[in-house]
Amino acid sequence: MPMPPPIAAVEEAASPSLSSGVQLRGVVKAYGSTQVVHGVDLDIADKEFVVFVGPSGCGKSTLLRMIAGLEDITGGQIRIDGRVVNELDPSDRDVAMVFQDYALYPHMTVFENMAFSLRYRGVAKAEIRRRVDEAARILDIESLVARMPRQLSGGQRQRVAMGRAIVRDPRVFLFDEPLSNLDAKLRVAMRTEIKRLRERVAITTIYVTHDQVEAMTLADRIVILNHGRIEQVGTPEEVYDTPATVFVASFIGAPPMNLLPARQEDGTLAIAGGAAMPRIGAAEGRALLAGIRPEHLVPAGTPGTLPLIDARATLVEPLGSDTLVSFEVAGTPAIARLPPRSVRRAGEMVPLAVAADNIHVFDQQTGQRI
Amino acid sequence: MVVICVLMLIPFYWVLKTSLTGENIYAYPPAIIPVDPHLFNYVDVWYMIPFPRYLLNSVIVTLMAVCGNLLFNTAAGYALTRDFPAKRWVVLLLLSCMLIPFQATIIPAYLITSWLGVLNTHLGIALPMLSTIICIFIFKASFEAVPRSLIDAARIDGLSEWRVMVRIMLPLSKPAIATNVILNSIWSWNAFMWPLIITRSPEMQTLPLGLARFLSVMENTTGALYAFVVLVLVPGLAIFLMAQKEFIQGLTSGATKG
Ligand SMILES: Nc1ncnc2c1ncn2[C@@H]1O[C@H](COP(=O)(O)OP(=O)(O)OP(=O)(O)O)[C@@H](O)[C@H]1O
Ligand SMILES: [Mg+2]
Repeated sequence: MPMPPPIAAVEEAASPSLSSGVQLRGVVKAYGSTQVVHGVDLDIADKEFVVFVGPSGCGKSTLLRMIAGLEDITGGQIRIDGRVVNELDPSDRDVAMVFQDYALYPHMTVFENMAFSLRYRGVAKAEIRRRVDEAARILDIESLVARMPRQLSGGQRQRVAMGRAIVRDPRVFLFDEPLSNLDAKLRVAMRTEIKRLRERVAITTIYVTHDQVEAMTLADRIVILNHGRIEQVGTPEEVYDTPATVFVASFIGAPPMNLLPARQEDGTLAIAGGAAMPRIGAAEGRALLAGIRPEHLVPAGTPGTLPLIDARATLVEPLGSDTLVSFEVAGTPAIARLPPRSVRRAGEMVPLAVAADNIHVFDQQTGQRI
Repeated sequence: MVVICVLMLIPFYWVLKTSLTGENIYAYPPAIIPVDPHLFNYVDVWYMIPFPRYLLNSVIVTLMAVCGNLLFNTAAGYALTRDFPAKRWVVLLLLSCMLIPFQATIIPAYLITSWLGVLNTHLGIALPMLSTIICIFIFKASFEAVPRSLIDAARIDGLSEWRVMVRIMLPLSKPAIATNVILNSIWSWNAFMWPLIITRSPEMQTLPLGLARFLSVMENTTGALYAFVVLVLVPGLAIFLMAQKEFIQGLTSGATKG
C-alpha cells in the first residue's frame, strides 16, 4: 500500500510560493532570558528585494544573522527555497552576506577574497577565474584584483565585498548596513550602484539599514521593525501613503509626519489648536492622533483643501527647492514643507491648509491606524 | 640609547673575544682587540666532549617544545575565545597556575613523567614545556583581535571551525606565533633544572647540562669554555633575530589586549 506523502510535502506542492524565496514563521530570538525578536512572520518572494529598516537595537541584524545561520533560532522556523534551514550550517544554506565592515580577509588579495568560497565548493579553477572576472567586470574593479584589501579605499572595499557575494551565485543575498561606513556622497553613489546591480543580478535579497531613504529607494518591499516586532510590511508607496502605526508614520519620511492630538466628535475631527475637519468613521470620543505630512500642509486657499491653522513660524529653513517652516500647534511642534520663498523669516503668520484625504488618523492608545 | 646598547653588548663581545684567543680573562691590562684570533677552542669543544650529541638533544627537545606549544596553545587560546560553561573558572585556574613556581611542581611532574614511562627520553624532557600558560593568553588575545565579522564571513563561505582557525586565525596571528616560537625555544634551550632531574645517561643531556659538566671537568680551559658558551648562545640569538619584528609586535599587542 503506498504511503501518503507527509503533510508538509502536500502543503508545499499545493502552494508554489512556499517552494521558493524565504519564509519566516514565528521566529523568536532570546539571549538568555531577554527576548529580542518576538515572533516574526514574513514571506519573501523569489528574486524580491526586501529591506529591513528600524531604529538601532530593534533586532534587524539579529534577524538577518538568524537567516544566515550565524545565530541560533530560539523558536519558529526559517525556510529558504522551501527547505527548513533551522539546523543547517551557514555554508549549507547557500546564502552570501555583505558586512558593515566589509570583512575582507586581510591576508588575501582581492582575487583570492572573491575566489575563496568557491574553492571550498569544489568549483573548477577555470570556472572560478571566469566567475571572478565577470563579477569584477560588473563591479568595475578589474584593475584591483591583484591588490591587498589594505591598499583599497572604503568604496573599493565595499565593491570587493559585493563581488565576493556575487561570485557565489547564492540563493539569497544578505546585506547588513553595507553603506553605513561610507561618507555621505559615496553612500549615495553606492546606493545607485546597488540599484543598478539589481537589474543585472536577479537574486532574492534581504538588506538591513537604519536609513529610511536607503530603504525607500532600494526596496521592492520594506519591513519596518521596532523592538523585535514587525510594525508594517509593504511597498515603499504603501508604507508612505498608509502607515499602519504611529511608529511607521514617524519613521518613514523626512522630516517626519506631524502628529497632532485630536478627538472625533459628531462626525468631525477636532484637532487641538486647529480647525475641525469633516470625518466619517467609528472613533467617537477616543483620544486620537492626526498625522499630516509636512509636504501635505499647503498655503491656505489651495483648491481642494480646508484651512487648518494660522501658524506663527518659529524657524524658517530655506532648502532651495522648498522651505521648511517650523511652528507649534497647541504646544505640539510641527513642520510644513512649503514652496520656496513663500515664508521669509521667523515670526511671520502662515495660514495653512490640508486636504482631508491627507490626514492619517491613529489611536493614541494603541498607535494603530484607524 | 647608543651608549646603553654598547654597554650591553660589551659582555657579549668579551665572551666572543675570549673564545677566539684563549687568553686569561684576568689578564691586566685587558686587550681590547683580540690578539692572534683562532678557532682552536671551537675545535676542542667539538671533539673533547660529545658536543654534537648535546646539540642534537637540545635541538630535538626544543623542536618538540615549540611544536607542542604551537599545537596546544593555539587550540587552548581558540577555545578561550569561545563561550563555554565554566569558562571563567578555567581562566581563573590557568591564571592561578601561573603563580605556582616551577620548582614547586617538580616532584609531581617527576612522578607523572615516570608513570608515563618517559624518564630519560627526549619526550620526557620536553613534556612540561609542551604548553605555557602565558603563551595561551598571547594566542587568546591575538585571536580576539580578529574581527568577529571575518569569522562569520568565513563560515558563510563554507569553512569548518577547524579551517577557520587554520586559514583565517593563524595567518592573522603571525606575531603571536613568532612570540611563541621565540619564547619557547629560548626557554627550552636554556632549561636546566628539569633536564638535570629527568636525564640519567650522558647521551640524553642537553647543552646547558653539558656546559655544567664541562665546567666541572676542565676548570682552566677558559677559551674552550667561552667557545662553548658562544655555541650555546648562537642558535637562540639567530631565532630571535629572524623573528624579532613579529616578536615585538606580538608582545605589545598581547600587552594592550590584556
Ligand atoms: N550577544 C548578545 N547578547 C545579548 N543581547 C544581544 C546580543 N546581540 C544583540 N543583543 C541585543 O539584541 C537587540 C537587537 O540587536 P541587533 O544587533 O539585532 O540590533 P540592530 O537592529 O541591528 O541595531 P543596529 O542598527 O544598531 O545595528 C539589541 O537590544 C541588543 O542589545
Ligand atoms: Mg545591526
